[in-house]
Amino acid sequence: MKKIFLLLILTSFTIAQTKIEIKDPWLRPNAKGANSALFFIAENKTDKADTLIAAKFENSEVVELHETYKKSEDMMGMRAVKFVVIPPKSNVVFKPRDLHIMLIGLKKDIKIGENYNLSLIFKKAGEIKINAAVRDMPKMK
Amino acid sequence: MKKILLILLFFLISSCSNNFEIVDDLSKTNYELVDQNNNSVLFPQVAKGKINVIGYIFTNCPDICPLTTNNMRLIQEKLKKEKIDGVQFISISFDPLQDKPETLRKFAEVRNLDLSNWIFLTGDKSVIDSLMKRVNILAVKSDSTTFKDGRKIYYYVHTDRIQLMDKENKILKNYKGSSVNVDEIINDIKKLN
Repeated sequence: MKKIFLLLILTSFTIAQTKIEIKDPWLRPNAKGANSALFFIAENKTDKADTLIAAKFENSEVVELHETYKKSEDMMGMRAVKFVVIPPKSNVVFKPRDLHIMLIGLKKDIKIGENYNLSLIFKKAGEIKINAAVRDMPKMK
Repeated sequence: MKKILLILLFFLISSCSNNFEIVDDLSKTNYELVDQNNNSVLFPQVAKGKINVIGYIFTNCPDICPLTTNNMRLIQEKLKKEKIDGVQFISISFDPLQDKPETLRKFAEVRNLDLSNWIFLTGDKSVIDSLMKRVNILAVKSDSTTFKDGRKIYYYVHTDRIQLMDKENKILKNYKGSSVNVDEIINDIKKLN
């Protein structure tokens, strides 16, 4: 009984330590064969950093972590990143003109109003399943 | 002296159009392009007689070009709400090898764009390259993705731009396409109307 109790405490402690919450996931519409991007807020509620290392989407041929960057005053580019660290007790926002999950080579049309299941893979928290809405991006300020 | 001042004033007024300094005059140029429905289109003749909001995109772009396109949609919706007409929207691809008319049509379709006053243009690579050079849009191939079957797609480091063109094919102003202030461009359009 004591052992079970200890195991329960240990399990709940481990869950608390690896808790990453994904808020407001959404992805851009695009046609079959083209690319889309997934955006969200990753909230790390623990006091240990975690790292996003990959993502999965069954409706695209390739999934990569990317960031948009400013090359010069009015030149913009995009490049792959290997991982994204989510610091303890903080949020990392994947947003337009910034970090995003690149969904490359869509296997079907992704249309506004639809919803899709995706997974985010964290080093500590493991695989987190999310459901993201397809919508237009908010107006940039 | 008075005459000289008047002549100077005349030149000053004629060099400006509604308080805009002319960025470039395309009225003497001619580019044979094709729209999203595979119709031949002469640019900038297709823009003549209308105020034009022109965006430069490639459809494999995951971030900047969708933002530019969405900003153009926001401008279109606001103009409609304010009952301002005579404005045409033109999206021109700088990646013609990838962006065929069908690709552009699908790009608009999945976004539910209102194409009643909006055209998407592409064309032969040499023509597009020449046009991009003229309108000062740079697009340099950067990263790429190779699929399992060997297909390869490229991404571009590119100029982030929307342009305002008047009824006489003069480019009046450049804006950052992905972060343009929609109200600023609406106000500029009102000055021309």
